Amino acid sequence: MSFREKSAWISLVSILFVSGFYFLHVPWTLNPAFSPRLFRGLLYCIAALVVIEVVAHIVVAIRAPEDAKAPKDERERLIDLKAIRITHYIYVVGSLLAVSTIHLGANAIAIGYGVLFAFVVGEVVKNVVRIVGHRRGF
Amino acid sequence: MGRPPITNKIRRYRFENGEMTQQQLAKRVGVTRQTINAIELGKYSPSLEVAFRIAAVFGLPLEEVFQYHGGEDEE
Repeated sequence: MSFREKSAWISLVSILFVSGFYFLHVPWTLNPAFSPRLFRGLLYCIAALVVIEVVAHIVVAIRAPEDAKAPKDERERLIDLKAIRITHYIYVVGSLLAVSTIHLGANAIAIGYGVLFAFVVGEVVKNVVRIVGHRRGF
Repeated sequence: MGRPPITNKIRRYRFENGEMTQQQLAKRVGVTRQTINAIELGKYSPSLEVAFRIAAVFGLPLEEVFQYHGGEDEE
């Protein structure tokens, strides 16, 4: 397995783990009174995500330093571009859907978390597309 | 979408060049071993630049290493 594929696996697992933990703790009432606590939780989760990703990438890079140091070649760049293109549509559609819930009476916090959820889904899909691309060859 | 209409003889020329490994070829071409493997198996069509570099490693013209079959249906 190449370093890029391992990297995609690390990102996928860490974002699923951290965002899963976070969204399970978001009170579904989305009461504005919870807002500061949720924001602190969000900051902790982002910090945890960064730490997990950095540590895991360092461990993988230590085990295969040449692979990790090598710049992306054209096939790897094309796989990334394909993943980013699909993710772009998820961001746009997800964000628009989240914003449109204002007509259903959603408050600002709910809309904000809708946009955040679209971002998480986009990141998950991006890494799945990257993994599939590396597995299949392109 | 099917496989690209480009075939190649990379595997054959690797073995004819001292049983060169995919890793060795990848290093000389400047791509990853996985990319050489994907090209060899016909899963990925390389850019012209990489195709020329691969042919240059074997000291052969491009069309000796890569063959295009896309025009056959149009005839």
